[in-house]
Amino acid sequence: MTIPVAKVLAALLAEPDEQRYGLDLMRLTGLPSGTLYPVLHRLQGAGWLAADWEAIDPVAAGRPARRYYRLTAEGVAQARQALADLRAAIPDGRRPWGGTEPTGAPAW
Amino acid sequence: MVTRRVAELLLELAARRWPVDVRDDLRREWAAELHVLAESGRRTTMVGFAVSLAVSRAGAPLVDRTLMRGRAGRTAAALLLSPIACVGIVLVSAYTLYPIQRWLMSQTWADRTQKPLWTALTLGMALLLAMFAAHWARHTALDGPLRIALGVALPVAVAAVPFVYVIYPDRPAAAVPGLLLWLLGLTLALWAAASLAARGRLRAAWWVGVVGALVAADLAVILAVVVTVPGGYSGPPLSPDTVDGISAPLWLFVSWTEWNFGLPRPAHWEIITISDRLLVEPMLYLACTPYALAYAIRAARSAPAAPVALVQTRSATGWT
Repeated sequence: MTIPVAKVLAALLAEPDEQRYGLDLMRLTGLPSGTLYPVLHRLQGAGWLAADWEAIDPVAAGRPARRYYRLTAEGVAQARQALADLRAAIPDGRRPWGGTEPTGAPAW
Repeated sequence: MVTRRVAELLLELAARRWPVDVRDDLRREWAAELHVLAESGRRTTMVGFAVSLAVSRAGAPLVDRTLMRGRAGRTAAALLLSPIACVGIVLVSAYTLYPIQRWLMSQTWADRTQKPLWTALTLGMALLLAMFAAHWARHTALDGPLRIALGVALPVAVAAVPFVYVIYPDRPAAAVPGLLLWLLGLTLALWAAASLAARGRLRAAWWVGVVGALVAADLAVILAVVVTVPGGYSGPPLSPDTVDGISAPLWLFVSWTEWNFGLPRPAHWEIITISDRLLVEPMLYLACTPYALAYAIRAARSAPAAPVALVQTRSATGWT
């Protein structure tokens, strides 16, 4: 697992029920768009992430609908396990993917 | 307004690098984010958002970078060293002729065997190199028929052009047009062959590749003869330093065999004129073509690097 993937998973696990759009995830992870979107694409392909279009009327809202991402049930379980294992594999406890802690994650 | 337009253009460029099935969704998604950034006046962020997507790796499956570096290194080594080996084949086969010719000197037909022997030696070594090239091409880093064709042909050009300059120090420019025509034709033949091979049409790929490469070499030899023979091309009646263009399609095979296949043209003096003007080019074409075709066709069928698993297995790494 790469550090950008770990950062995205950690950001999404922080509030697993919350839906996040691209700019939001860029802000949370500090990743540039060119790194973030391939990661999101990859996580979607693995079935860990689901994407839905925002349910708004673009005319009324005055902007196009955004795309929101959230972890799937499988994604939540797998991401928690993967991050826990990644954390255990780093002896000194440093977390290069950032300080975002997933809440309610048993492995943490 | 200009900034937003630039950002939109960059995002369009970025979208084109992604798989076709996700492009429309990405365009829509990025346009929405761009709109938010533009409305909030964050122009620098907006351009940064677009530039980052435009210059970064698209969303193809990620592959192990160590593996890709290994592939790239092996591919570069194969593509850069093989053309040098082709030049070496031409020279080694030429030097190998001397002891053979000395051994055959007592025979009256020894002179007539010189060119066919050189051709046979060159072809034999070229086929051996092609077998190795096909093996190396199984794990090429090149992707796509055009990239494969250019990846093979350009290093051949880099090796071939200095070679003819060394061989013809007094008239290098005269040899270059034929060589460039051959390189262009070879590239097209490799492109076509690789395209067919990528679609699984292996037999057609070999046919198109071999015929295309022969046509390219034949045209290159014709051009070289027309450019370099002092009397130039002419129709009958002929002077001793001219060649009759009616036999032009045979000149490549004549330069490999010094034989007119029992036909009235080219006559004996024309064969000598052609051979004298084209010392190494036909052998260079013969030495390079098997390697180039074998590599291009095999590379077009090579498996892409396996995507990296999202999570490595515990057995492989000690952690999940």
